[in-house]
Amino acid sequence: MAHSHSKQPKPAGPKSKTIGLLAQFDDPDSLVAACERARDAGYEKFDAYSPFPVHGIDPAMGIRRTRLPFFVLAIGLTGCLVALAMQYYTNAMDWTKIFPGYAFYISGKPLEISPANIPVTFEVIILSSAFATFFGMWIFNRLPQFANPLHRIDRFRRATNDRFFLMVNADDSKYDANRTRQQFEEWGATAIENVDMDLTDQEIPKFFKLAGIVGLFLLLVPPVMIFRAYGSTNRAPRLHVVPDMDWQDKYKAQQTSPNIGTDKEPVYLYADDRAMRAPVAGTIARGDLQEDDRYYRGYEPGTLPPPAQPVAADGSSASFVSTSGPSAQDSAPAAQDPATTGQYPGEPDWIETVPSPFVVSETAIARGKQRFEIYCSVCHGYDGNGNGLVNKRALALAATGQAQWTTAKSLHDPTVKVQPIGRIFDTISNGRNSMGPYKAQIPVEDRWAIALYVKALQETGIQPAAGAAPPAAPQQ
Amino acid sequence: MHNTRPARITSPLISLSQGYVKLVPLGLLVGAIGIGMAFLFSAAASGGYRRFSFAYLTNFSFLLSISLGCLFFVIVQHLTKAAWGVTVRRIAEIFAMCTLPLAVLFLPILIPVVRGSTDLYPWNVANWARDNSPLLQVKFDYLKWYWFAARWAAYFAIWGFFAWNFLGKSLKQDETGDTKLTLKMQASSTWMMIIFAATLVFASFDLEMSLSPLWFSTMFPVYFFAGGVLGGLAAMTLTALLLQRSGRITDEITVDQYHDLAKLMFGFTFFWGYIAFSQFLLIWYANIPEETFWYRFRFWDAAWAKASWALLIFHLIIPFLGLMARTVRRNKTYLLFATIYLLCIHWYDHFWIVMPQYGSGIHGEPIDGAGGFPFSWAIDFPCAIGMVGLYVALFAWIAGDRPLVPKQDPRLGESLNHVNP
Repeated sequence: MAHSHSKQPKPAGPKSKTIGLLAQFDDPDSLVAACERARDAGYEKFDAYSPFPVHGIDPAMGIRRTRLPFFVLAIGLTGCLVALAMQYYTNAMDWTKIFPGYAFYISGKPLEISPANIPVTFEVIILSSAFATFFGMWIFNRLPQFANPLHRIDRFRRATNDRFFLMVNADDSKYDANRTRQQFEEWGATAIENVDMDLTDQEIPKFFKLAGIVGLFLLLVPPVMIFRAYGSTNRAPRLHVVPDMDWQDKYKAQQTSPNIGTDKEPVYLYADDRAMRAPVAGTIARGDLQEDDRYYRGYEPGTLPPPAQPVAADGSSASFVSTSGPSAQDSAPAAQDPATTGQYPGEPDWIETVPSPFVVSETAIARGKQRFEIYCSVCHGYDGNGNGLVNKRALALAATGQAQWTTAKSLHDPTVKVQPIGRIFDTISNGRNSMGPYKAQIPVEDRWAIALYVKALQETGIQPAAGAAPPAAPQQ
Repeated sequence: MHNTRPARITSPLISLSQGYVKLVPLGLLVGAIGIGMAFLFSAAASGGYRRFSFAYLTNFSFLLSISLGCLFFVIVQHLTKAAWGVTVRRIAEIFAMCTLPLAVLFLPILIPVVRGSTDLYPWNVANWARDNSPLLQVKFDYLKWYWFAARWAAYFAIWGFFAWNFLGKSLKQDETGDTKLTLKMQASSTWMMIIFAATLVFASFDLEMSLSPLWFSTMFPVYFFAGGVLGGLAAMTLTALLLQRSGRITDEITVDQYHDLAKLMFGFTFFWGYIAFSQFLLIWYANIPEETFWYRFRFWDAAWAKASWALLIFHLIIPFLGLMARTVRRNKTYLLFATIYLLCIHWYDHFWIVMPQYGSGIHGEPIDGAGGFPFSWAIDFPCAIGMVGLYVALFAWIAGDRPLVPKQDPRLGESLNHVNP
């Protein structure tokens, strides 16, 4: 062994010490036999080296079975508990003051421990057991070892090729340099050699110590950052990973025309200040033609009185006029009683029967009932008596001055009962008084179905509820 | 290497010999008495022949799955050129060969189906799909009595051929010592494994899953397979232990073979649990009515809910912990107990699959008067004892005077010297 290292040796103490005696054998059977004899001779601290695993060498060396499985079992069961606790904490414990979990219902599944937790638990058991096996093997074998004195012996290199070795440690109670060497010869060793450990340069370099201390401090950084982030607010804009998805080059409905000039001298892309373009004059969108006044607006064609106010100068389609037409007449004085005359001044001639292509049928009434109960019953009530839930609640609030509310009309009110079906259709479409328009939500056919159902309701003979009925005047 | 055993048989007794003469009539007697008792008590009880059919199907499925598990073991031994299991392979070969005579025991199930009975299988009526679920017309086309009968004929022919292939060639090798037979068996094990898997999948559909024909679970065949292999391994190990206790093949099967069999049983215990849970979790989580009703009855009915939890505890947790340690895997007395336990719990698994259909309709709704946990000491117990008796008679009949270890297998020496590190 060479001891000619460049570093200065320590002033006191030996440069090396013998840690054991190494014997070489030429075949695995001799090695196993030697191991058995070493075991029988009472040696306890010795090891065998072979290029390949030799079956039966463990009992030959007197090695007791590893305790690794119990270690793995313990860690695996710990992993099981940790996984269950983690899931319980994150998903079912939202009452902790600091770092609360997040009770989040998914598909109506229970928050507490349930079958849904088992796959994660299973995976964590596997992961922790695998780690326990791998690192437990390291710990039980005292790995990693950065150096082994055996590697300084040239002969020992053949332990990875075609030679078999047995080393008895010097600190074994039975070790005696001469006697052990004699035993090796008896057991058929083909070569015997002292194993010395170099005792120079035993100190860990200062750089490693420094790096270790710095590393330990760096490990503290992530938890501190997490803790800091937990209690702080941040006004910095969030990170935009895909900017052209976050800010798209487009304009939406009802936006103003973009300014392509400067702030001082604005130049708008469109002179009318709208980002969207109106349809070309004289054109109409597919499905928006709606020429049939009877079907789409509920009155006889050509009976619409001239509008009270002029409409937009760029040419008005019939549907545009009808939207604001009849409803604008709400303030007309009720000079004549519509209940007797059937005439509504300032309004077109409402049709009395359902228009084609709408067909009266049981299905249509059923559909009307269903739609009525979705859209209308919240205010007008299921029986049309104006006692829907919204109405009740709003009246309760109005009684204490917390809201203003016009009572929902009873559909059995005489003033409503006389109305032609076309006018009911118009009320549903465009609203009346404080009732809003439902044209946008309900398709034409369904509006006729609802109007039909209202007519059917009125035929049931239900009397208007005394309390719920609104003042008779001045409404229609 | 030192301590090498020579590759030859050293036990004085390697066949059933006199035992064969005793076991066959004894098994037939127990079978006749047990099944007869079950039949009579069923007829006396309210369930009648329908009750007996369910008890019979439970036990038939139990025995068939054991035979198929052993057939799987034989095929996989050849497929992997395994040497360790050579000395226990003959027992598995004989159990696998029992599939062919089991075809006769299938007749009490098949004949009523052919004659139009709906005691077991509710799909066995005209217009079943139209009346219950028109969407399932395709299933209905599959579940016709004549297809059912044709498929079962094919299953038994295929399994019987496979088992005969392995047992026959292996017995021939006992006399000639021809190593080419081993190579032939290795070559055929490849495609046989594929066919075996396919037939097992459809057989499990036909045998047990079609008891509730509205149910869907693609996991069920794997579940059936996992339980079957576990049962097969337990039956093999128990047989080997009992044969050795009676002074047969004492030298050939060593503690290391038992250790490996126990490892496989441990593995398949957990595999069974893994598959059972996978099947349950997907259905529980997706919560689709077409699938949940099967479990709903098993967890909704108070008695069955306890039975289902018992299955989890006694079929998974207890055997998993009980077979974990190395020392117990190498202890023959303990293994004797463990294999009997595993066979009982595997029987219970089939009871749990089959029996709820006795007390519930095709939508999993309880049937009046047939609900509750239906185990009967007067019907199920004698039926099980009788069927197992018949199965033992079949084993003894096939084993006969033939050697219970492959005497001249080329890997016999390796198997005899097998050591678990």
